[in-house]
Amino acid sequence: MTTASSESPSSNLLTLRVGQFEGPLDLLLHLCRTNEIDLAALPVRAITDQYLAHLEALEFQDLETAGAYLVMAATLIYLKSKLLVPPDENDEQLDEEGEALRHELEERLREYARIKVLGSWLAEQEAQQALVWGRTGSELPPPDDVPLEDLSVHQLERAIKRLISEQARRRPREVQPEPMSLLERMTEILTVLRDTWSLLFSSLTGGERRRPEIVVTLLAVLELVRLGRIRTQQTELFGDIVIERREDGPGDNVPLTADSDLQGGTTVADSH
Amino acid sequence: MPTPTDVVEALLFASDTPLEAERIREVLELGDTDEARALVDELRVRYEKEDRALAVVEVGGGYRMVTRPQIAPWLMRLAKTRTKARLSRPALETLAIIAYRQPVSRPEVDAVRGVNSEGVLDSLLERRLLRVAGRKEAPGRPFLYETTREFLVAFGLRDLNDLPKVEGELVIPEVGVAPNGQAQAEQDPGPGGADVTARS
Repeated sequence: MTTASSESPSSNLLTLRVGQFEGPLDLLLHLCRTNEIDLAALPVRAITDQYLAHLEALEFQDLETAGAYLVMAATLIYLKSKLLVPPDENDEQLDEEGEALRHELEERLREYARIKVLGSWLAEQEAQQALVWGRTGSELPPPDDVPLEDLSVHQLERAIKRLISEQARRRPREVQPEPMSLLERMTEILTVLRDTWSLLFSSLTGGERRRPEIVVTLLAVLELVRLGRIRTQQTELFGDIVIERREDGPGDNVPLTADSDLQGGTTVADSH
Repeated sequence: MPTPTDVVEALLFASDTPLEAERIREVLELGDTDEARALVDELRVRYEKEDRALAVVEVGGGYRMVTRPQIAPWLMRLAKTRTKARLSRPALETLAIIAYRQPVSRPEVDAVRGVNSEGVLDSLLERRLLRVAGRKEAPGRPFLYETTREFLVAFGLRDLNDLPKVEGELVIPEVGVAPNGQAQAEQDPGPGGADVTARS
């Protein structure tokens, strides 16, 4: 009994989780198993009561699934009612109808039980194959004649759908990094200068810095010069600017915001 | 000079789908497919004798070179994964129905499972474990589905005959059994009643 092991038989049936069952047949089969019921002698009364008790505990994701469970419930109730009412000898047709229904239900249950066993057999096979790797792609050029039996209209349909959805999908908007504020830049330059005597302007704007950042950096440098915190040199035209710390300037303890006109997160807008 | 067995080894290495004996015969210009099979067997023996990391298996109507299961722990580390993606229980049961009854339509699958199988079928088609085999001449002309070669490969089957035979048909009880609704456990051969034995 391979499948039974996957479902722990519980004495308190109502504690079963929603979504444990794949459908009404699965639930019914589970009830039969937990009660050790022979499928060939389905005790309709007991099973109907238990089934209905479960039904109340289940939550359904969609109407169709709920419908499938309810149809089964109706069948069971009908069969149960047949047992409660004493057989009417005058109406054999009705009796046969009920019996046929019950027969069919048993047949379906048995078939489903078989499928479950096969499903777990397949699962074991799959588990074995999961330990094995083969080539998935070949470097061989594709054959001149593509075997058509492996293709289907469904693949074409999927390809088209994929194309359409790709077309429809809007390209991601490029998000501009928020330009650094002038004050932040000034602080950054002073922080670097705390550890070194001088630095090159290019080292501040190197890497992937964008044009607005270069502008902010230049403004920051100019502002720091105006405040007397740094000194700059440019040895040749278009050459690199050397930034030096000014020891004679006001100390680090003077807050940058004290007399800066451009303070308070002034930013330079993207010039593009 | 490479031996024919060496060539077969290279053919299996280069192929991403199971290589049929007929194709090997064709490429090596052999007399018949039995010769091709003999070469594959030779290669197989060589691998086994040398305790190699690779093995030759027969799946999906052809031969395939795969790693031995014992190597799996290292391959999983290489792939940085603990397990390969596995199919869900509904997917496996749907596959089982179709494997045994193919070609089969969705309403028929639904009837066995007792629930709608549309989503499951779609994902199985997507994974190419199923394909459409045509339409059923019935109301609505529903699609008929059948399993693919990928199905056989994924489950390590040579062909559909490798599927286990279903045994243990239960005797349908006589009319009017169990009128009192009691479980008749004493004669229970096991709920489900279906025994599965793998075909050798």
